[in-house]
Amino acid sequence: MTAGMITFVEAGSTQITDLGRRQGPRYGVPVNGALDQRSARIANILVGNPAGAPLLEMTALDVEFVSDVGILLAVAGADGHLTVDGVTRPWCQPVSVRAGQTVAVRHIQGGLRAYLAVRGSFEVPQLLGSCAPDSVLGFGGRVANGAAISVRRSTAAIFNDHFTSELYCLDVPRASAGFVVDVTDGPDIDDFAGTADRLFEQPYLLTPTSNHIGLRMTGPLPERVAKGEVLSRGVPVGAVEVPPGDELLVLHRGRGVTAGYPVLAVVTSGSLDVLAQARPGQRLRFRRVSATDAAAAARADRVELEALRLRVQSVFSALDALSTATTGRTFS
Amino acid sequence: MPNASVVISPSGNSALRAVSTLADREAGWRLVHHLARFVDSSHVPGVECVIPTYDAVLIEIDPTDVSLDALRTYLAHVIEGLDADLPLTDAPRTFDVPVLYDLDGELDLQDVADAQGLSAAEIVRLHSEPTYIVRCLGAPGGSPMLDGPPFPHPVPRLASPRPHVPQGVVSVAGRQATITPAAAPGGWSLIGRTPLTVLDLETEPFVPYEPGDRIRFRSISRDEYEALRGTRMVAR
Repeated sequence: MTAGMITFVEAGSTQITDLGRRQGPRYGVPVNGALDQRSARIANILVGNPAGAPLLEMTALDVEFVSDVGILLAVAGADGHLTVDGVTRPWCQPVSVRAGQTVAVRHIQGGLRAYLAVRGSFEVPQLLGSCAPDSVLGFGGRVANGAAISVRRSTAAIFNDHFTSELYCLDVPRASAGFVVDVTDGPDIDDFAGTADRLFEQPYLLTPTSNHIGLRMTGPLPERVAKGEVLSRGVPVGAVEVPPGDELLVLHRGRGVTAGYPVLAVVTSGSLDVLAQARPGQRLRFRRVSATDAAAAARADRVELEALRLRVQSVFSALDALSTATTGRTFS
Repeated sequence: MPNASVVISPSGNSALRAVSTLADREAGWRLVHHLARFVDSSHVPGVECVIPTYDAVLIEIDPTDVSLDALRTYLAHVIEGLDADLPLTDAPRTFDVPVLYDLDGELDLQDVADAQGLSAAEIVRLHSEPTYIVRCLGAPGGSPMLDGPPFPHPVPRLASPRPHVPQGVVSVAGRQATITPAAAPGGWSLIGRTPLTVLDLETEPFVPYEPGDRIRFRSISRDEYEALRGTRMVAR
């Protein structure tokens, strides 16, 4: 089902992704998907999509595209500057775009990744139930300059032309500022004997070899005391490992699902989103938390996002009623 | 929670690791795979990913949908009802895998032989002798994870992992062996290459074997390697 296309004038470093390939790990394939899951959820919520709908993940570089159909979009994640036909529009709010208009996302800052969702989402190839690119399998990848992507539905403009402004302003929960990374003790912490606490002593410096598979950091390294060969086991996303060499490795969503290195600590689900926004050269500090506290924080955050979903639904329902009353058609 | 056959422990705030404690390794392997299948097919709310391996299964969750404690209690109940003696598959398939062993010294075969105190030819013989059982699918790209060949000693992982291991490489590490379906970094010792294409993204799931299936390696010449290059891996 295709309602129209968006065509990239400047694709930057953009991928079409979703919340990940959950069936993948069973078959030896990483989950992948949006690295900052919270921001991806927020972008989809703001346009009324299901949480797992395909959306754009834009990393660091400017992006510009033209839509040949009216769409409703929202950008979340790192800060940046959104324009439609050169006019500044709000970040982290639903924004209407008319057919033929040019959308530009520029100056991504304060983080590394921004997420752009379109109401109705995109029509894209899937593998094992997900469109998330997999660099090892060679599935999906970066959007090329000039590429066109199908939009599944059109959305009539909800925009006050007299005041060139949006008709609403939603209260969107913010991410916590700063680069503190919460971890719980890993299942193999005993392999590091007394050296595990080095993780919390000084900040670590993120190196440029970091990517969606893992982040490499320099700093005081805990030492694996236990020797001997380990049988390959499933490794959780967020695993903190000390591989041979002089860097700490924190695995992210593109990680190989099995490995034989002991897991020293595991980054909490919430702090994986923080890591997704860290740039090379950034200093990060690890903080030990209990699994219970981390789960409670994750639940509190999800409650906030569900409240946002309800607010968005209220706005859309009200606009639908207004639109039907004045024009005889619904905006959606 | 005490359980006779499995120890369940958290692996972060979003995952549990269940490790078999059965003395019978075969039974332990079957048990964690039965557990993985049960959890997978039950569509337990909050369970996102299930990764069964040799003696363990990692279960990743969304901690906003289910608590680790609740899941742990549930798993303990499920395990009580599982039969570790039940085979994983009634009709295991066998895959013949031709291998051009690294007798020209391009890869790590000679290093492995030296470390084992054996000749390269003996390593080839020991590696191509057993019928291997696919224990699980692993990284990268659904690698068939096998038990190691009957070498005298475990094979140490490379001190410095290679940044790029090409697809089709046949490798060993510790007491394990595998074939690499997709190019990726890796720290295992490479002892040969198969000309077969293992990965096919047009099929789901994109590798032809499942845990419980069998693999046999067969030494081939360079000419055979060239002739078979790109052939798809299929069961006998």
